[in-house]
Formats: sequence, C-alpha cells, structure tokens
Amino acid sequence: MNRRQILTGGASAAVLAAALGAGARRAEAANEVVIGAIYPLSGASADVGLQARHASETAIEIINNSYAFDLLCARAAGLPKLGGAKVRVVFADHQGDPEKGRSEAERLITSEKVTALIGCYYSNVSAPVSYVAERYGVPFLCADSSSPALSRHGLKYFFRPAPNDEMFTAAMFDFFDAERAKGKKIETLGLFHEDTIFGTDSAAVQNSLAKARGYKVVVDVKYQANSPSLTSEVQKLKTANPDVLMPSSYTSDAILLVKTMAQLGYAPKNIVAQAAGFASQALYDAVGNLLGGVISRASFSLDLEKKRPFIATVNDLFKKQSQRDLDDNSSRQLMGLLVLADAINRAGSKEGAKIRDALAATNVPASETIMPWKKLVFGPDGQNPDASPVLLQYEGGKFVTIFPDNVAVTQAQWPMHA
Amino acid sequence: MPHGEAATAESFRSARVRRFLVAALVFAALALSPLAIRSVYLQNVLVLTLLYAAVSQSWNILGGYCGQISLGHGLYFGIGAYATSVLFVTWGILPWGGMIVGGVLAVAVALLIGYPCFRLQGHYFAIATLVIAQSGLVLMQNWDFVGAARGIQWPFGPDSWWTLQFARAKTPYIEVSLALLVASWLATVLIGESRWGYWWRAVKDDALAAESLGVEVFRSKMAAAGVSAFFTAVGGGVYAAFLAYIDPDAVMSFRFSLLFALPAVLGGIGTPWGPLVGAAVLVPLGEFSRSYLGGSGSGLDLVIYGALVMAVALARPQGLLSLVPRRRAAP
Repeated sequence: MNRRQILTGGASAAVLAAALGAGARRAEAANEVVIGAIYPLSGASADVGLQARHASETAIEIINNSYAFDLLCARAAGLPKLGGAKVRVVFADHQGDPEKGRSEAERLITSEKVTALIGCYYSNVSAPVSYVAERYGVPFLCADSSSPALSRHGLKYFFRPAPNDEMFTAAMFDFFDAERAKGKKIETLGLFHEDTIFGTDSAAVQNSLAKARGYKVVVDVKYQANSPSLTSEVQKLKTANPDVLMPSSYTSDAILLVKTMAQLGYAPKNIVAQAAGFASQALYDAVGNLLGGVISRASFSLDLEKKRPFIATVNDLFKKQSQRDLDDNSSRQLMGLLVLADAINRAGSKEGAKIRDALAATNVPASETIMPWKKLVFGPDGQNPDASPVLLQYEGGKFVTIFPDNVAVTQAQWPMHA
Repeated sequence: MPHGEAATAESFRSARVRRFLVAALVFAALALSPLAIRSVYLQNVLVLTLLYAAVSQSWNILGGYCGQISLGHGLYFGIGAYATSVLFVTWGILPWGGMIVGGVLAVAVALLIGYPCFRLQGHYFAIATLVIAQSGLVLMQNWDFVGAARGIQWPFGPDSWWTLQFARAKTPYIEVSLALLVASWLATVLIGESRWGYWWRAVKDDALAAESLGVEVFRSKMAAAGVSAFFTAVGGGVYAAFLAYIDPDAVMSFRFSLLFALPAVLGGIGTPWGPLVGAAVLVPLGEFSRSYLGGSGSGLDLVIYGALVMAVALARPQGLLSLVPRRRAAP
C-alpha cells in the first residue's frame, strides 16, 4: 500500500464511520416534540452558534424538568397538555449562507418532521427560512435576527418576540429625549457604521429618527467592514466632534475604532453604540480601559435578577453549559425556545396551524420571562410590539442598566466622562 | 493511404455517435430521476448538484479548454442573479427574460475585463479575476438601487412556470438546472470539435507556439470568456429563482468562484464530463456531511470534506475521470 492509497482509504473510512454514527443517533421516541434549530455552527459566527446550542439546551432542561419558579414552561416537567411530552431540539448548521439555511429548513421539516423551527441569527438566513416555514405551514420563531424587513412580508407563520433594529434604535432616541428633558445638551450626532446589512440598516434608521426628533447628524461615516485602517474615518469624526458618537460595528472594527481614536487623541463626548461589537466581551477585554462610560443598547441585562431572582438560577444553568453569563444573543435564543414550547403546549397539538394560532394568541406578562420586555404578545405581523430593549452603561469594569426607568438600577452618567 | 484515412474517419464518426448516445442516456436518466428520488431533501441536493455541474461546465470552457484559470466567476453568477431578481421584482419581467439579459450583461463585462486582462499570463490572470470579482462584490454591497447589503426578496407568489416559483416542488428546478447543464455540455462539445475548440486547446498548451502557427490567441481567449460568462450568468439567474432571496454575499462571494472551479478540477479539467462527476461527488458530500454532522458544531463535516478533496487531489491529480479507462483518444 502506498501513501496515496492509505490517504484515500483513511478518508473513506472516516466518512463511513461518521455516516454510521449519524444514522445511529436518529432513533425517535414516541412521545416527544421535535424542534429544529438553525444556527451558524461553523464559519465566522460559529461562536454565536455554539452559544445558541448551549442556550437551547438550557431551555430544554427548563422545559423538560420541574422548577419552583414562575418562568414560562418551568413549573411542569415536559408539556402537560401533550401528556407530559418531552421537547427535543435537532440542530442544523447554515454556515451563514441563505441557501444552506433554506435547504436545512426544508430538510428539518420533511425528513426530521420537526414541529417548529427556531433561529437563525443572520437576518439574511432568517429571510429564506421564514419563507420555507410559511410554505410548509410550520411556525418559525425568529429568536435573534433583528432586521425590521423580516416581519414585513405578510407571513402568517413568522414570530419574533425580541425587538427589531428600529425598536433598538428608538430606545436610544427615547433616552436622548429623556436626558434632554433633564436639561442635558444633546444636539449633534455622529454616525459611524460598517457597510453590511447590519450597519446599513442601523444608520438608515438612525438618520430618519434623528430627523423626526430634531437632532442634527453632523457626520455620517460609512466604512468597509473588517477594514485594516480607520484613520481617515476617525479624523472626520474628530473634526465634527458631535455630542454623541453612535457606532454600529462588529467586534474587530470596534476594537480598531477605539484604538485609532486613542491614537489620534479623539475622546468623544459620549458614545451610544448599537450593541454588536460594543456588546461583546472581546472588545472590553482588549480596550476596556478606554471605554469607561460607554453606553450600548441591549436586549438583555443580568441586572434584572434583582427584580426577578429566578434569572440568576437560569443564568447558573446556562453557565454550567457554556462557562459564560447569558448575554444579548443567548438570552434571546433561550427565551425564544421557551416561548415556542409554551405555545406548543397551549395548542395541545403538533399541528402547525394550531401552534400558529396559539402563538398568535400569546399574552405573557414580563414577570414570566427573563427579558426586560414590557410584555410578550405578537402583532398581526408576528412582531412583539412590547419588546423593549435596554441601555447599559459600562462603569467600573461592568455593565449596569440605565434605561428605561422601570428596569434601570442607576442613573446614567452623562456626559460619559463626567 | 486512402484506406487508412477512411478507417480513421469511420472510427472517428462512431466514437462521436457513441459519445452523444452516452450523453443522451445520462441526461435522460437524470431527467427521469425525480420519479425515483422522492425525498425533498435529496431532490434539493440534486438541484444543487446539477446547477453546480452546469456552472462548473461553463467555468470549464474558459478554465479547462482555453486554460485561463478564473477565480472570479462569482461575478458573472452574481450579475445573472441580480439581473434576474431586479428585473423581476422591480419591473415584473419574467425570470426567463432576466436570465438572458443577465447573460448578455455578463458577456459584456467578461469582454471588458478580458480586454486588458488577457494580456496577463498565468497566475496574474487568476489574481486579476479574483480582485475584479471582489470589487464587484463591494460595489453590490453599496449600490442602493439593487438593495445594497439588504439584498432582494422575491415576492411570495403562486406556483408558476412563468415566474419559476414553486412553493414545495423541486422537480421544475431539477429540470431547469438539467437543461442548463445540457446546454453548456452541448456548447462545450460542439465548440470543442470546431476550429475554435482546437484553437483554445492550442492556447492552453502553449500560447506562444499557437500564435506562431497563426492561432488568434487573444480572440480565442475573448470568445471562451464570453461563452463561459453567459452560461454562468444564466446559472446565477436559476439560482436566484430557486432561492427567491439574494444578497451580495449569498450569490457572489469568493466562495462561489471557488465552488465553480472545484468540481471541474476534481472531476477532470478540460473534459466534457469532469464538472458533472466532480459536482456529483462534491455537492452531495458537502450537503450530507453538513446535514448529518454539522449540527454538532464540532466542524467535523468540514474536516471530512477537506480531507476527501485532499485525498482525491493527492491520489488523482488528473481528476476522478482519469479512473475510467479510455478506449481510445478523444476526438
């Protein structure tokens, strides 16, 4: 046997072994509800997908076991109206590709016979997945994609409990209005955004809200994502020196932005960020010392555990799996699965149409969620209109909730270098 | 010797007849395959396999026959996908028309790129195509008229052959992809037999020697690029209709440029069946490994995919088709 034969043989053996292993896993229990979860489990956002997996498994633990607190699906073990059926999640990887997401959605529905779908982090994957779900009459719970366009296609099987980007941005402007009412000076804004769907959408909404609410955008810098240098861009920001700098950047760009600002001696009066990079631990690990007082919008805050102690328990369950605290994404992924399981239970059926109706009729008080929402309901477009985001401020090496008042634990420090 | 010449011509003809007969059988079997393959998932894999085979065949015309390795075919694919989507969503022009418009646009772009770039040789040409395709991607991400980074969502309509929209049926997409594969296969074989085909192969073997013998090297390259771009763009149009949603990364990222070259290289570069054989191995392998192993999040599917491509490249650098014993030299 020469080396080539060994290589070829080895590779074939590996494929065969893997295929056999996959086949063995697919035995199906009688009384269970299967939900298909489509996340980016490999590629650039594999880490988000891995956390989504941990979050989903934590949610499954909560649904299938009995806990003594009033979170959705926590008290009973399994789904009582389906004879205590257990919930199981089948994971699929979309690799950040809309076509793969679409084909996985179809496979989960037709081959794995899933009752409902959840996902997909990438808005451009959630779009085709929502179409597949609609065509098969299977509910799709969009846990963590925030593009506003997703709920505007008139789909009946699309549900999003968390805020969309417009709601996120509106929260920032609500905060500006509130600070203005207290007599603080906020007149000029500076936008700084990357050029993919996230940054483009974010800046478009910020521009229109600024106009509507009487703020002046004095500088609007669009830059190429993953840019090797942001020097000229930061120069523009420095020259304009707006009252508030509003960046929409992913992690690596955010780190470069903060470093470049320090090099060029530009200290913004205030920073109010569109999460993403500014919500990621990696940024604060790298340049946290330069970021005292920075404010970011978020869909979740651990501060809430002071008001709802069970959030600490849920966080501990999650931490056992992932060695991390719940964050912006994992909280939405976890809660999304609970929302879906609750609707399946209320429907008392695995039929798509009945679950859809149960989802549409959802009306859950905020106190039964881990989120800072006002409450959980779905509008006719499938969007929860009462999903209110929060603003967090980075103070003394950690984030505290500063807005809105009903969940805030402290007053905002404004301007941030005060 | 007259007798010998006649015999050669005779065997030449019978080889040709046999080749078309085999092709007719293979394509007929593929056309009927949806009758046997009922699983939606497998049909989906079949659509992708045929589509990648067709586009890889288009790549093969320029890369395999004329020897100009392009790493930028994602650009033509994207042009086809965008032309089809924009014309349909904005003006209601049926995708069939959009594909043709996309094809013509892609030919124009290919010639425009070819004019300066075909003066480059070897790796420099490959690098130029890569860079130009990346520029095209950035352009699309920022061009508001075509949806910029937000992409284009096709409207939700009833099943129809006119709009090429089918809610659940996969068979129509199988047949359309197959038709494109047949068309690009025929173009490859027919042109391959013509004077142009001989010119292309001469250019591939040694451009300088070919030129000294009177082959029009530059025009050969331009013609190959045009034909190749046209079929690639039509493939992009079919893909857009199939997905009913496109954005720049979803149709023209570098990944696509690579995925169009890979089946031809793996199956047998510069052969009429190489792209189909390569796609028939690569696409199902990628789909199955992702579907049944990708859920673990361990990346094992990608390891296996990469290992197999490496194993084939090491064991059979000439491509998988070289495993089939040849009865006589191809005409």
